[in-house]
Parts: sequence; structure tokens; C-alpha cells
Amino acid sequence: MARVFFSIALAAVAFSAWCVELKPWEGGATPPLALDDLSGKRHDLAEYKGSVVLVNFWATWCEPCRAEMPSLERLRKSLQGKRFEVLAVNLAEPLSRIEKFVDGVPVSFPLLRDRDSTTSKAWKAKLLPASYVIGRDGRIHYVAYGELDWESAPVRAKVLELLQ
Amino acid sequence: MNRRSFLKSATAASVASALPQRFALAAEAGWRTFETVTRVEIKDAFGTARAWVPLPLAMDTDWHKTIGNAWSGNARLAKIEHDGKYGVTMLHAEWSDKEMNPALEVTSRFMTRERNVDLSRAGSADLSVAERAFYTAPSELIPTDGVVLKTALEVTRGAKGDLEKSRAIYDWVVDNTFRDPKTRGCGVGDIKSLLESGNLGGKCADLNALYVGLSRAVGVPARDVYGIRVAPSRYGYKSLGTGSPNITKAQHCRAEFFARGRGWVPVDPADVRKVVLEEPPGNLPVQDEKVLAARKRLFGGWEMNWLAYNMGADVKLPNSKGPKLPYLMYVNAEADGEMRDQLEPDSLRYTITAREIIL
Repeated sequence: MARVFFSIALAAVAFSAWCVELKPWEGGATPPLALDDLSGKRHDLAEYKGSVVLVNFWATWCEPCRAEMPSLERLRKSLQGKRFEVLAVNLAEPLSRIEKFVDGVPVSFPLLRDRDSTTSKAWKAKLLPASYVIGRDGRIHYVAYGELDWESAPVRAKVLELLQ
Repeated sequence: MNRRSFLKSATAASVASALPQRFALAAEAGWRTFETVTRVEIKDAFGTARAWVPLPLAMDTDWHKTIGNAWSGNARLAKIEHDGKYGVTMLHAEWSDKEMNPALEVTSRFMTRERNVDLSRAGSADLSVAERAFYTAPSELIPTDGVVLKTALEVTRGAKGDLEKSRAIYDWVVDNTFRDPKTRGCGVGDIKSLLESGNLGGKCADLNALYVGLSRAVGVPARDVYGIRVAPSRYGYKSLGTGSPNITKAQHCRAEFFARGRGWVPVDPADVRKVVLEEPPGNLPVQDEKVLAARKRLFGGWEMNWLAYNMGADVKLPNSKGPKLPYLMYVNAEADGEMRDQLEPDSLRYTITAREIIL
């Protein structure tokens, strides 16, 4: 009975999973972020100044993180040619696990490795998925804790506004 | 790809793994990794609904590390909040009054390692004056005067130093209390009433709170540590571990005292009484081999098939209209300003499952 109950409850959740919103950031200065991607190439957020950057903290064990990854990819593709970048920071997982995940869900943006969770702690990304939208000025403008539909009109509007 | 098939493939992809640098080191050093999933539904939610889910201990220790927490559901707000006094960490979710079926899923990953303090070896560990005052202070249900002080002085008569006093209190709690299977949940932890009634029966939140109160009353820093069992015992104790992945009713609170030179020392007199009552065939005599072994192990050691949530008392839930809670070890929820019964998972409708992640 309990199983049936939760199947129903979670089905309801799945149908209304887009309750999370991008909210204005009130947490102060942008913490530093300099991490290697899966091939070992260093990415420093400071070098992206002038672009709008979406920093997304995620893990393969985080179901909503996995669920929103394709919408991140579609948003990035739809803004190709504009100064918009996505940096997806994985929370301390093995390289092989991340690689297996992206084998099934390929993405075109850099997947960075926060091997000892130092960066996620500095960003206070304690609740996954945690996403921060950084403006061209290098400041964090918006934050979302939870799965977000990155293609929804309100989200796109906020990103496009930052791109202007 | 729809969400279901996407999730299915992603889950499959996440199953196979190799050791990351951090986890490889952790595994070598005896760390185990676990995942808990808490699913909550608030039925008949009229008006604004809120839920508070205890999360793994926020601070990293040499026996616990939190990897991360994730959430999904139809809440309009979900954020991690901390009780300012004790650092109790919880996920606070809120639903608008238009949401008639509030639902939430919280996944937590963490690592644990066995705790065994060598009490024969003294170092330089000490608390500051402020910390000592903090951990000997009373809470609403754990007073340190009156009958608590009187009992503590009697129990520790002749004992010198933190260690001797703690041992005397531990032995007294084990010898004089009993686990009462009729106690709701893990008990309330009202130690004054317990002592005044002369009926020293209860569960972990009663018996270990009694240990903490008696310790604090004679100046030994002590604290309850609230949590939940997540795996079977590796030491052969059926009563001290989980019987299935469903751990919805496996909440368990423990205790620690601080001994100068040794640091925080784990104890669990309530679990000794649990072994007495529940270890098959049940109602074991205190001289039973299994009871004696547990009694020895649980003064200075914890088997870490258990997740620590927090060490808080008198917890005020953020945005709640309800009164302070003696502790936060259960999922709590309210709808339209009315608290749901935290001790009745079936009425509140939540389940907690746990699994070990083999790296």
C-alpha cells in the first residue's frame, strides 16, 4: 500500500516539477571558481568575465540534477553565438562515473570536477541542484536551488536580460 | 527522451563507478558511504503547508562527513536552514495554499566511520570556558538542578574527574533504567518527570537525555546526538541495526560527554537497555554475554551504521507556528498552521529508505 501511495504521490510531483524559480541573489560577492574539466583543462570563472555564465552544481546521484541537464543543454544551444556559457560543477564524484553519465546524456558545456567539495562549500551549494546565474559584470544575479526548466519563458527572459 | 526514460538511463549510468581520489582515500581509512531518501507527502493540505526534514550533520568530523543533499518535489520553496544555537540543519519546504498534494523527496549522501575512543590515552583536548558552559547548561527538558542534581551527586559520589563521573553515570543509567516498548517514538526526554516519577522507563531520547542531564548537573559537558540507523549491525546485534532498507521508524539518539585530554567520547546507555529488551530471544539478563559486550563497547564507541543529524535541543522550526521541539529527529510538517504528528509517520505519510553505496 505504501508503495502504491508513493507512486501516486511522486507521479504528482513529476507532473508539477517546475515550481522552482530563479530568485535574485542576496548572498554577496561571487566566490572564486577555478576547476579542471574532465580532460584536465582548467576553467577559471574570472576568465569568463564579459559573458553571462550559468554555474550549475550537480551529482549523478541527484535525480533532479540529472533531470534538468538536457534542458541546460538546450538552453545553451539556443543561445549559441551569444556570450552565454554553462559550467556544470560535479560534486566530488569519480571521473568514470561522470563519464558514464555523459555517455548517456551528452552535453556540450564543460563539466568541472570539484574533487574535495571545497568549491561547492565556498559557493554554499549545499542543496542540489544549485544554480547561479552570473552577469557580464561577474556578479551573481540569480540563484535556484532545485530542478528548473531552463527553457521556460521566465527563465529565458532573465538570462536574455543579462545578456543585453 | 521523456523524463522517465532519461532518469532510467541516467540511473543505470550512475551505477557503475570507480573510486575517486577522495573516496579511495576514504575507503582505505574505513569510511563507508550511505544514501538516504526521505519522501514526504502532506495529506489534506488546506492552506499553506510546510515541512522540515532533518539533514545529515553539517560539520565534518573524523566519524561523519556529509557529501551533499538534493531535493525534488512541488514545493514553491526549499532551502537549508540552521538553528542558530546548535547548528541543527534541516530542509525547510513550503507550499502555496493552492497546492493540495504537497510532496517532497530529499536525497542525502554521507560517509561514516567507526568511533572508538581509546580512553587509556590522554592528549591535550579541552573545551574553552564558553564551550564548557554551553555543554553544561540546562535545556527546557533537561534541567540540571533539583532532582537531577540530587541524583547526579548521589550517583557520582566518590568519583573524580570527568571520566570517572561519566563512567559512574553510565553504569547507573544502564543498571537503573529500562527500555519501555510502549513509549511513543523515541520518547520525549523529560528527565525531571522521569526521575520524579521513579519510573525510569523510556527509549533512547529519554534514557540518553537522562545521561546527558546527570552529566551536565555535575559539570561534565555532554550532549545528545540525534540520528537514524541506516544499516544492519556488523557486530551481530539484531536490535542495533536495520532489518530492511525501509528505515522510517529507525530513529535513534545517542550521547557524548567531553573528557579533558580525550575529547568528545561516544556513549549509548540506551542501546545497552535495547539489547537487554530486544536482542533475541528477548529480555536478556544483564549478565548475558551479549549485554556485557554491548555495555563495554558502548562506553567509548559507536558502530557507525547510523547517521547523525544534529545535537540540538529546544528547536524552533523556521516559520512554524508550533511550539519549540525538544529535538529534531523526525520529519515535521504543518498545514494551515496546524502541526502534523511527527511521531506518526503513517499519519504524516513519509518514508525513509537507506542503502550503502559500494564504491
